[in-house]
Amino acid sequence: MSAAVDADVLSVTFGALADPTRRTMLSRLTKGDATVNELAGLFPAISLQAVSKHLKVLERAGLVTRGRNAQRRPAHLRAAPLVDVSAWLEHYRQFYEGSLDRLGEHLAQLQSRAAQPPTDPEGS
Amino acid sequence: MVELEFVRTYDAPRQLVWEAWTDPDQMAQWWGPRGVTTPRESIELDLRPGGRIAFDMVDDATGARYPNSGTFLEVEPPARLVWSDDGFADGSGKGTATVTFAEVDASTTALTVHLVADFSDTVRAGAERGWGTQLDKLADYLA
Repeated sequence: MSAAVDADVLSVTFGALADPTRRTMLSRLTKGDATVNELAGLFPAISLQAVSKHLKVLERAGLVTRGRNAQRRPAHLRAAPLVDVSAWLEHYRQFYEGSLDRLGEHLAQLQSRAAQPPTDPEGS
Repeated sequence: MVELEFVRTYDAPRQLVWEAWTDPDQMAQWWGPRGVTTPRESIELDLRPGGRIAFDMVDDATGARYPNSGTFLEVEPPARLVWSDDGFADGSGKGTATVTFAEVDASTTALTVHLVADFSDTVRAGAERGWGTQLDKLADYLA
């Protein structure tokens, strides 16, 4: 992975990921390629046209490529943009999850100290 | 610009959580993930709009020191803290952090950390590591 990444690319990726229908489509594609019809099967309440539109958004974001077979044109998950998003998420998730865990421990310690004031072992 | 949000609930009164974030003595005890220390003497918190926030993070394993700085935009004790992050020396990583402290009840506080940032260089560096199972994790995360 040495492709240059800039904030605009990430914005497009995040924009594409912002929609729950598209996230479901991507989740499906992690399990293997699928045609528009197969993807549409996941969403009985959504028209084939709308599913096709969502797929175009994912294509524009570089998250999906389409096969050359004119009849089926199966959608294929393209990981590269997700790698960038994933790396970003991982970095900051680790930082904040770690910090917020420690904050919880710190608060618990503060309160146990307050609840049990230090006793004088000598009893003087 | 990209965003990330964390929500935690703590069994502690809101005032206590606020102080843990805004008292440098306390911040030094918990800021940063395990393996990272934030030395007390490096922490500067000028708690007012326009005031400076600065701290160093030190990697315990290597001793490498990472300075951070920014400016407070909103300081509303004990409910809301917003600061802008100057980012890294090369100008990347600039962004805004918003922390809200919501009182669930007298002894419970819901904390939300919302980050909006340009972390493109961080991402570039992180991407060098390759992704392996991260895509699966991401898929789980998104599901």
